[in-house]
Amino acid sequence: MTRTLWTLCGLTLVLALGGSPALADETCQSPYMAKITGQEEYVYVWTLGVQGLGDGSDKLVTVDVRPGSSSYGKVVASTSVGGRHEAHHGGLTDDRRQLWVSGLDTSKIFIFDVAADPGKPKLVKTIDDFEKASGGVVGPHGAYALPGRMLISGLSNNKDHGGRTALVEYSNEGKHIATHWMPTAEDSNGAKIESVADGYGYDARVLPRKNVMLSTSFTGWSNYMMDFGKMLQDADAMKRFGQTAVLWDFHARTPKKVFHVPGAPLEVRWAWGPRNNYAFTTTALTSQLWLIYEDEAGEWQAKAVADIGDPSKIPLPVDISLSADDSLLWIDSFMDGTVRAFDVSDPHQPKQVYEKVIGKQLNMVSQSWDGERLYFTTSLLANWDKKGADNEQFLKAYDWDGTELKHRFSIDFNDAGLGRPHIMRFGAKSLYSN
Amino acid sequence: MATLAGALIMAGAVPAAQAHDPEALTAGHERPELSFGRSEQYDYDPPLPGSYRLPAIKPAPDGRVLDSKERLHQLHALMDGRITVLAFIYTRCSDPRGCPLAISLLYDLLFVARRDPAIGGSLRLMALSFDVENDTPEVLADYAGAAQKDHGAAGELLFLTTRGEAELDPILEAYGQPIGRKLDAADPFGPYTHQLRVFLIDPERRIRNIYSLGFLDPRLVATDIRTLLLERRGQSPGG
Repeated sequence: MTRTLWTLCGLTLVLALGGSPALADETCQSPYMAKITGQEEYVYVWTLGVQGLGDGSDKLVTVDVRPGSSSYGKVVASTSVGGRHEAHHGGLTDDRRQLWVSGLDTSKIFIFDVAADPGKPKLVKTIDDFEKASGGVVGPHGAYALPGRMLISGLSNNKDHGGRTALVEYSNEGKHIATHWMPTAEDSNGAKIESVADGYGYDARVLPRKNVMLSTSFTGWSNYMMDFGKMLQDADAMKRFGQTAVLWDFHARTPKKVFHVPGAPLEVRWAWGPRNNYAFTTTALTSQLWLIYEDEAGEWQAKAVADIGDPSKIPLPVDISLSADDSLLWIDSFMDGTVRAFDVSDPHQPKQVYEKVIGKQLNMVSQSWDGERLYFTTSLLANWDKKGADNEQFLKAYDWDGTELKHRFSIDFNDAGLGRPHIMRFGAKSLYSN
Repeated sequence: MATLAGALIMAGAVPAAQAHDPEALTAGHERPELSFGRSEQYDYDPPLPGSYRLPAIKPAPDGRVLDSKERLHQLHALMDGRITVLAFIYTRCSDPRGCPLAISLLYDLLFVARRDPAIGGSLRLMALSFDVENDTPEVLADYAGAAQKDHGAAGELLFLTTRGEAELDPILEAYGQPIGRKLDAADPFGPYTHQLRVFLIDPERRIRNIYSLGFLDPRLVATDIRTLLLERRGQSPGG
């Protein structure tokens, strides 16, 4: 049975779960939206098109994950958006009626209605003036639900296509509201700078009860659209990676402190516990797990707390997923195709407790609310994915019994003519039927 | 309905401290809202009014509504050049994380408005019910009357409904306020699900902020109201 948890007049379902953390989410998404606390029914996979494969276009692929369904583990819908845009990330609106997904290359944002028929999302709007409306932001990345609006983290800009960028707000109706540029050394906007302020962006997530937002930093268009092997040989290009995380006064949308976090800190996950004032991020190039936390004096600090694999081999950790009870952090690393689980019960002293090779390359991980099901995809960026036989492209589903990941199903996106699977989001009809 | 106020306090709709000794709470504060203080849920100090922008999100939609005395109004007319805080609620909702929280916020703002003329003279507080079956003007009058009995003149807080779904649905659609009926109509917390949303609307009838669970901090909303007031005086960056 699918259960949903709404941040609204419907507490019965929360109580049935024994008072689950109120601000948790099944895949570490925004705390402001309804949650699927039981069995997810669909997995939406935002997929990069590949020239010569199928229709060659970026597409939203819908996979049926309803146990017992005749189409369990199968693709039940695929909607192309026309053309290749470097499909990457996206997110659901706070009412969970729309899924916004974006293209890092063309800076287009595609809005799907997932409420009318959750098994068959429909493209209802395309924002094609993001760059102009935002005042020069390029590469819309995450789409994070706020009440009645979406927060889009950019990756680049149209002046030099480097990493300086901004956070951009849109109404749920798709209208630009505001642009908040990342603090730099030249324009700190009042932020305290630990060491450097590069102005780069990647992820941005909010801890409402502390009125803080944390953003991280990756790299700009000139790098993420470059061939990976070529970039590694380009010393100047390798200098153009983010090395900061920024803590913001969320309500005022003003930066408070710029932490020095070298090596491209990517995904942010705030802890759920009502007194757990900390977040995790991982650095792609230096392969470290970082903790951003409020100390006993009320000051926010950042420190590396663990290595991920062997950093000298550059496993390239990319995505993370924190369990709803703050005890287990899953970390995917791209180069070795491995997922590692860290016991983070003591966030200052994480310990790796499990690892498994999922494939020859690995990118995203999404887990169910109860932590019993995990889904993995493979593609990082079109020009960074591995080549030849190593270019596996799949969605794989596993069950987690507390000690072992057990394979449930796989879909080969190459064989299916779909493309390179990236971000995943969950859907369920029960979100809209009651 | 004599027990309504007590029920509201139990459900978190009226701050217990306010009900006991409101005057003591404001002593020494220029901003009465700061008397609510930090809590586990809102564990921070709000920013200074006017130190940030509140960009316009979209025009506030209009619509025809009924007040508790069965008088018809246009929403825009009720906004009447004031700063408006509009919550969508229904009186049968008893989920302490639902409508009572929104009602609590409105009463907290009423508390602030009565102690600060700068806000009190510029603010309109409205609760619009989406439960057309139950929330008749008479029911709303009882609801507001019980609150008035325990909290003084409640006339500044308007309880509104509509004549039916034909007039209600376009308002909900335009504000982006989805609601749904629960499968269990006898659910003890009430028969509807809805995304908890409260709207801050400026005198030019533009939505300047949207609050939901996690944001229903009266200190923040009052700070936003002050920011809009400063903006009118040319003392804040504006939208």
